[in-house]
Amino acid sequence: MKKIKNDGSYYLNPYLGGVILGTFLFLAFYISGRGLGASGAVKNSVAATVNVIAPGHVANSAYYSQFAGGDKQPMSNWLVFEVLGVLAGAFFSGIIFNRLKFKVEHSPKITSRRRLVFALAGGLIFGFGSQLARGCTSGAALSGMAVLSFGGYITMIAIFGTAFVAAWIFRKNWI
Amino acid sequence: MERKYTILAILLIVLALGLVILPKKNELKETDPKVLLSEAVQKSRYLTVDQVTHRIIENDPTLMLIDLRKADQYKTFALPGSLNIPPDSLLSKTNMELFSQPGKDKVLYGNADLTAEKAWLLCSRYALKRIYIMKGGMNEWFTTIVSEKPVSGTPSTADLDLVSFRKAARMFLIGTGETASTSAAVTVKEKVQVIRKAPKAAAGGGC
Amino acid sequence: MIGSIISSGMVSPAWDNLFAVILGMGFGFALEASGFSSSRKIIGTFFGYDFVVVKVFFTAAIVASLGLLYFSYLGLVDFSTLYIQPTFLTSAIVGGIIMGIGFAMGGFCPGTSLCATAVGRIDGLVFFGGMFIGVFLFSESFPIFENMYYSGSQGAKMINTVFGISPELFTFFLVLAAIGMFVGAGRIQKNIKKIEY
Repeated sequence: MKKIKNDGSYYLNPYLGGVILGTFLFLAFYISGRGLGASGAVKNSVAATVNVIAPGHVANSAYYSQFAGGDKQPMSNWLVFEVLGVLAGAFFSGIIFNRLKFKVEHSPKITSRRRLVFALAGGLIFGFGSQLARGCTSGAALSGMAVLSFGGYITMIAIFGTAFVAAWIFRKNWI
Repeated sequence: MERKYTILAILLIVLALGLVILPKKNELKETDPKVLLSEAVQKSRYLTVDQVTHRIIENDPTLMLIDLRKADQYKTFALPGSLNIPPDSLLSKTNMELFSQPGKDKVLYGNADLTAEKAWLLCSRYALKRIYIMKGGMNEWFTTIVSEKPVSGTPSTADLDLVSFRKAARMFLIGTGETASTSAAVTVKEKVQVIRKAPKAAAGGGC
Repeated sequence: MIGSIISSGMVSPAWDNLFAVILGMGFGFALEASGFSSSRKIIGTFFGYDFVVVKVFFTAAIVASLGLLYFSYLGLVDFSTLYIQPTFLTSAIVGGIIMGIGFAMGGFCPGTSLCATAVGRIDGLVFFGGMFIGVFLFSESFPIFENMYYSGSQGAKMINTVFGISPELFTFFLVLAAIGMFVGAGRIQKNIKKIEY
């Protein structure tokens, strides 16, 4: 089922994509004993940056000191390497499915500028929430669901439940 | 198109249903009777009283003494650092945890060999590792260490070493170098620390 | 080999980071190839014109769950060595709600924004940059949220124990629910005006 779009790009069948994703998620647990994630790498990068600029602050902070400072190496972390892999894998996929292109994707009804402002705000809020919930859609919800974690299911329901309501509020940005 | 998805959906349901109806495995590992037999005929499960005493004196951290005698006998005299587990509670949950501690040699003994042999067989059947028997039990320990057996014939150097070792052990454990009367009720019972099996460290945080 | 392989000590932990890169590549490829690099495709789930998120997400969760349970049944995976997301009820719900708002505003989640960045979507890059600020703000204001962060702790609780059923039975119901959702999603999608993106 190839639905080739005007620009020549096309997508994998979503179920096939899901099986591939699930297989890699399973392998992550089987090989490394942990799920896949993304926001953890951001957390470590932030902690590493702050550690370089203000090491004393890191040592005093109850949050940073969990994963940076002292002899901890926040950048030599499983999730940081995994995220580098994500970038490479997505890039390959972009080549194969003909999607490599610099652009700002937005609804024709809004300007690129508005889209970028909302993307920044969305990222900020998402980043904040991901720290509170100890993980994002991939790390907490998806990986948590794979090992039947109660917290993973709760996070998943909270994210998607809220997003359904919030998407309706922000519908002008999308449709 | 629709049909293809229907087949896939049925496949998924069958796979999930398979998990539900698969017979539940016995959680407890059991040793295969044939393996058990080959273990049971080997003499390597025995430790002599001298070996055990040696390890007691050396304060061997890998040694775990399990006294299978009755509680009142245990109270009268017990080897230092030993744990009293009456045979009827041998397979209780806490004791099984105790037995499955890694890195410990579990040495079983009763008054004689019989109780210890039975306990050994049960433990081995539950696939517990590093279970030993102190050959001869407490009776043998007393006759060898406490009331010294005379060495017959012309003693060799090794025999003489053994005699002096036993004497030293007597000194150490009972406090007298002389052949003590059996009433020497000495208990150097230490508080035994039970190290529970720590949960295996899981890999660090997710996302 | 009993999984997880790294904790079983069969492979040196030094290889773990290499596996991380390879696993990440598979993750990124699967996300991008399914169309998760497009925010308008992702957000389509909430307006009913494209249910790719639901389909991929639940298929992946089911495949991984089934795989782990089967391997566990065969004695190839030791569940006690796996990282199970600990449950902190309050912070999971509040954090999830905050993430939901961010999701609807930005149209990405962290993983998909990375994929979008990799194929040159500037909105993805901006979203990813925004996350750094968000994480930084949370870390700096951590003392305020510390109580909430640690409240409602229930340990590494599994969802099947909440319902009092076996993990296998729960997964079976999950499969049924997911198939129901897939069928429903297909019906809704047919009746909703296509949106070109």
